[in-house]
Amino acid sequence: METIVKHRIKQVIKGDQNAYGEIVEVYKDKVFQLCYRMLGNRHEAEDIAQEAFIRAYININSFNQNLKFSTWLYRIATNLCIDRIRKKKPDYFLDAEVPGTEGLTMYSQVPSETPLPEDEVESIELHDTIQKEISKLPDKYRSVIVLKYIEELSLNEISEILDLPLGTVKTRIHRGREALRQQLRHV
Amino acid sequence: MKCPEQVYDYMHEYLDDEISEEHEKLLREHLQSCSDCQDYFRELNKAIALVQSTSHIQAPDDFTSRVMAGLPKEKKKTEIKR
Repeated sequence: METIVKHRIKQVIKGDQNAYGEIVEVYKDKVFQLCYRMLGNRHEAEDIAQEAFIRAYININSFNQNLKFSTWLYRIATNLCIDRIRKKKPDYFLDAEVPGTEGLTMYSQVPSETPLPEDEVESIELHDTIQKEISKLPDKYRSVIVLKYIEELSLNEISEILDLPLGTVKTRIHRGREALRQQLRHV
Repeated sequence: MKCPEQVYDYMHEYLDDEISEEHEKLLREHLQSCSDCQDYFRELNKAIALVQSTSHIQAPDDFTSRVMAGLPKEKKKTEIKR
C-alpha cells in the first residue's frame, strides 16, 4: 500500500491533481475516524478531516518521501484536532447534542420508523457513552488513546506522529488508561 | 494491605506488551493474593476493551469529491509556503 501511495505522491508533486484523489481514498476512513474520536462530533470531524487532506496537499513538497505518508498525515490531522479542541468552549462537546435541539444526538437521527432491535439500541447507547468518556479526557491523553486503541498504532509511530519522546507517550497512555478505568468501570 | 507501588507499573508494562518475565511473575503472584488489584487490573482491561469496541465509522460517501473540490485549482509554480 505504501508503495502505491509513494508513487501517487510523486505524481501529485509533478502536478497531477487527480492522483491525489486516490491517496484520499486510501486514508479517508482512518483520518475521519481519528478526527471523530478526537472531536466527538461528526460535522466537525468531517471539516477537520477534509482540512487535513487539503493541508497535506498544499504542503506536499515539504513531505519527506523517506517517511511513511500516513504518519505525516495523522500528524497534520491530530494537530488540527487539538487546535480545534483548544479553541472551542470547554463544555461544547461533552455531549454530542445537536445544537438547538433537546436531547437530540446524532444517533437519534437514525430513521425512527423502523424500531431498532433492543440489543442494537443498547450497543448504540454504549458506544455513545464510551465516546462521551473519551471526549472527557484532556486532549493530550485523548490523542494517545485514540491513536493506540482506535487506530491501533505502535508506540513508536505515535511518538513520531505527536513529535514527542517515547517516554512521554507511554506516560500519557498510562494516565489516559487510568482515567478511562475510573470513568468506565461502572459502565 | 498496602500494595507495592510497582504493581501498577507492572500492569501498564503488561498492557504495553513490554513486561519482563520477572515483572510478569511478580505481577501474577500479587494478583493471585490481592483481590483489590485483581479488580483494578480487570477495570483497566475492561476500559481498553470498551474503547476498542466502539464501532469503526466510515467517512461520508462524498468525502473524496469534497476534498478534491477544496484543493487549490492549479499548483502554482512557486511553492506555497505555510
